[in-house]
Amino acid sequence: MSNTISRRDFLKLAGLGAATSAVLTGCGPAAKYVTRQPYFDMPEYTYHGESTYYATTCRECAAGCGLIVRTFQGRAIKVEGNPAHPVNRGKTCARGQATLQGLYNPDRIPGPIRQGRAGALSRQVMTWDEALDILAKLFQNTPADQMAFLLGPAPDHLYDLVVELAAHLGGPAPIRFGALSLFEGRTTLIQAAQELFGQAALPFFDLASADLVFSFGANFLETWISPVSYTRGLSTMRKGRDGRRGILVQFEARMSQTASVADEWIPIRLGSEGLVIAALARLVAEVQGRPADSFQEVTPDEAATAADIPPEMLYHLADRLATAARPLVLVGGSALAHRNGLQVAKAALALNALLGNVGREGGVFLSPPAPDGAPHSRLASVQEMAAFVQRLASGTVKTLFIHGVNPLFELPASLGLAEALKNVETIVSFATFPDETALQADYIFPDHHGLESFGYQRVMAGAKEAALSGLQPVVSPFHDTRATVDLLLAALAQAGRPLPYSDEFAFIQSKIRPLMTLAGGSFTAPEEHTFMALFQQHGGWWTLNDMRQQPSSPRGRIAVAMAAPEDGEFYLLPFVSPVLGEAGANKPWLQETPDPTTTVMWNTWVEINPKTAKKLGIKNDEVVRLIGPAGAIEVPVYVYPAIRPDTLAVPFGQGHTAYGRFAAGRGANPINLLLPILNEAGDLAFADVKVRLEKTGRKYSLSRLESRIGVYGEGLEEAH
Amino acid sequence: MKPIDLSLFGAKGAIVEAAEGKWGMAIDQDLCTGCQACVVACAMENNVPFVGEIDAGYGRSMHWIRIERFWEGEYPEIRMTPYRPMLCQQCGNAPCEPVCPAYATVHSQSERINLQVYNRCVGTRYCANNCPYQVRSFNWRDYTDERVNDAIATLKNQYNPDVTVRRRGVMEKCTFCIQRIHRAQDRAKAEGREVQDGEFAPACAQACPADAIVFGRIDDLRSRVSRLIRQKHGVHYLEELGTQPRVTYLVGGAS
Ligand code: SF4
Ligand code: SF4
Ligand code: SF4
Repeated sequence: MSNTISRRDFLKLAGLGAATSAVLTGCGPAAKYVTRQPYFDMPEYTYHGESTYYATTCRECAAGCGLIVRTFQGRAIKVEGNPAHPVNRGKTCARGQATLQGLYNPDRIPGPIRQGRAGALSRQVMTWDEALDILAKLFQNTPADQMAFLLGPAPDHLYDLVVELAAHLGGPAPIRFGALSLFEGRTTLIQAAQELFGQAALPFFDLASADLVFSFGANFLETWISPVSYTRGLSTMRKGRDGRRGILVQFEARMSQTASVADEWIPIRLGSEGLVIAALARLVAEVQGRPADSFQEVTPDEAATAADIPPEMLYHLADRLATAARPLVLVGGSALAHRNGLQVAKAALALNALLGNVGREGGVFLSPPAPDGAPHSRLASVQEMAAFVQRLASGTVKTLFIHGVNPLFELPASLGLAEALKNVETIVSFATFPDETALQADYIFPDHHGLESFGYQRVMAGAKEAALSGLQPVVSPFHDTRATVDLLLAALAQAGRPLPYSDEFAFIQSKIRPLMTLAGGSFTAPEEHTFMALFQQHGGWWTLNDMRQQPSSPRGRIAVAMAAPEDGEFYLLPFVSPVLGEAGANKPWLQETPDPTTTVMWNTWVEINPKTAKKLGIKNDEVVRLIGPAGAIEVPVYVYPAIRPDTLAVPFGQGHTAYGRFAAGRGANPINLLLPILNEAGDLAFADVKVRLEKTGRKYSLSRLESRIGVYGEGLEEAH
Repeated sequence: MKPIDLSLFGAKGAIVEAAEGKWGMAIDQDLCTGCQACVVACAMENNVPFVGEIDAGYGRSMHWIRIERFWEGEYPEIRMTPYRPMLCQQCGNAPCEPVCPAYATVHSQSERINLQVYNRCVGTRYCANNCPYQVRSFNWRDYTDERVNDAIATLKNQYNPDVTVRRRGVMEKCTFCIQRIHRAQDRAKAEGREVQDGEFAPACAQACPADAIVFGRIDDLRSRVSRLIRQKHGVHYLEELGTQPRVTYLVGGAS
């Protein structure tokens, strides 16, 4: 025990500022090898009645918030935010808080399984040796160009390894995807920045220092891009600067949670966002006495009519924008989910430029690069996913590896993925949960849960600093799972095509090593082992300086028009459930957390304006059928007082057919109503869809926190 | 490790004396975004059980803190009132206390908060009836018993050992995370110092991404919470009932 201080001992963070530095001084190189002990053999670092705290990274979405997890006698007890982490500064969202319900979820995949595409989780348990054999044979026998990797949205160490693996074997690069990016309009924003500023990076909206924010469709307090960081931004803005509180105006067809917090909510018609932004730009230019060539074709009256707001309101808004000290225009989500979404994004960025706030405090920046200088790799757009599905359908992919994403749930069914998968000879899933896609795999070789894993993740947005967030196991694996990176490395070695890394940790170390030579970081260390240990203890490495990039001056033309929706009765606005996100449905506590605006728990609903409901003779809790261009779903009605009468809104996050007992068979998935109509950036134009509504004559009482009347079938008509 | 002066822990008097302090909370409704992070954080910290869709529909969900919101007006002139996180107000003069026949809900001398003694509670639910804030929740079933709810068999691994797991027939409610107060006090005592302002926070305040909840000693005029509640826009809900709430809501925002 004298000269081999265990890594755990060294990394004990204990959450105490002072104690932390005390732990560090005098320690030699930390051992990289962890011994994971079973509960009954209590590890040497547990003191009776004392907790041990570990820093790691949240894996519930791709934002990459830093966590400190309290453990107690080998169990993870509570998730807390890492106060030093540049993304979340000690805070978390509801999903981050509930991550332990994933770790200790009763429906996790317990070990390697020969799934054989059975509809339910197969009971054919395998050993890891057999799993390794199968993987090694696949690497030996599949021509590299007939292999494909589909990964989750986070740019993590697994992604880096698979990039190397693919290059090493000579196959195509892996694809990353997640439903959140589809709903966020990420690709569109990056493309807009590329076309306008010549830099392909995600815009960073500096909410904290703005004093008047016009936000179009971006649900930045819910799930959009980096919600904890944007919430901090709003909070700072509201606390005010020099005693002046910043104002948020949200433009959206439905009052989202973000809009409900805004000082003003302006219910513009779906599809008119671009016109409104362009009209504002023209008016702002007029107020400032400057030309705004790009926007001459748009007349404010026309825009107001399209948006269904009084023209005076538009003039007034433009006045306020033009005279604000630090105005900011934010755009994302449904505003970009139109065929002309790219133009909308560009118009919003151009309006910011017109307001003179590009690269200025309280304005628009571009997100920092990765600390190691590696370019941020983009997530696949829906267009690229469609092409990928085509490739699968054509039968040119013999072996498909899937990790960290559930495309059968997260992509519109109309893309035809379910059919395409039938033409793939072998599907290997590394899923932690028996989700829809994992059940269609031939083999499931479950990875550890994020809280049981080593790793790192590049922070794509949300922090001013360039950051590499660190992951380390906070508990020993609860099930017979294996790190996917370890498994792939071992399989490659067995197949006679080894990569030069002995194991996952060696790979991670090789990627972290270059940071040692960089100046201006959150810590330094004279040699590698200490650096690695500090990396894990701090929960990552980040620069101390603001690394946001200055956009160059905008160029190019913008032409916006009213988006033309498909035919139908009502506009459909699918939105990501603020509480569940895309993957929270398997956690019972998230299911029982009320939706902020409707207070509904445990289900899906469709929001209908009270007047529309009255006209159609529809009451709360009545089950209706929504018929979209690509399919139909049945959902109970929630009569929602703050939605446009021409719009219906349905949350995304439920409607699983698998994914464990808490998720399966509950609610409906609105994504299956959608056709793969795209905008010019290849993102899904999900807000260009219209739907029809039919009554079913059935009733389903939604469980909601706000009122118990509905459940007893009483008095709701009167209440509305 | 520093030797611990056992006399600090041995005599009850010592603890009470050390623990004297009036804890309170300020919630800025202008900052709250209704995100529910506090709701989930509270449940995770305090072993609050989930009850399932049907029981939740019957109003039996066990949240110790909930986010209220009300509507004003009609579309398009509709407005949502600012989100209002509602939790036990730790009333100085608590209506829930005198009605309990079993003395299960009593006032603590040391922290000056309202306690719930689970093993005294006989489940008359008088207290919940008499709480004007409707923040008490009752265990209608054995939600934490794996014979009733088999998912608990693995989920129970995350139970906080500092917090009692409750059974059927017992009332429960927010405790201001008293286990955290005690942990901080014990540590400060062992180190021979006072608990510093901001040294710890209840789970809700710790999680809140908007920094809307601030907790601390309201008998210390320099503490952050004291400074906040002295602002002009602080209100005590239903204070006209004489409840003397220990939670101050800030409404209306800066300037
Ligand atoms: S925003 Fe994403 S990364 Fe951050 S705590 Fe929430 S789920 Fe985790
Ligand atoms: S808020 Fe209700 S439960 Fe809390 S002390 Fe007051 S009366 Fe009792
Ligand atoms: S965590 Fe904070 S912002 Fe979120 S609902 Fe609770 S008090 Fe409001």
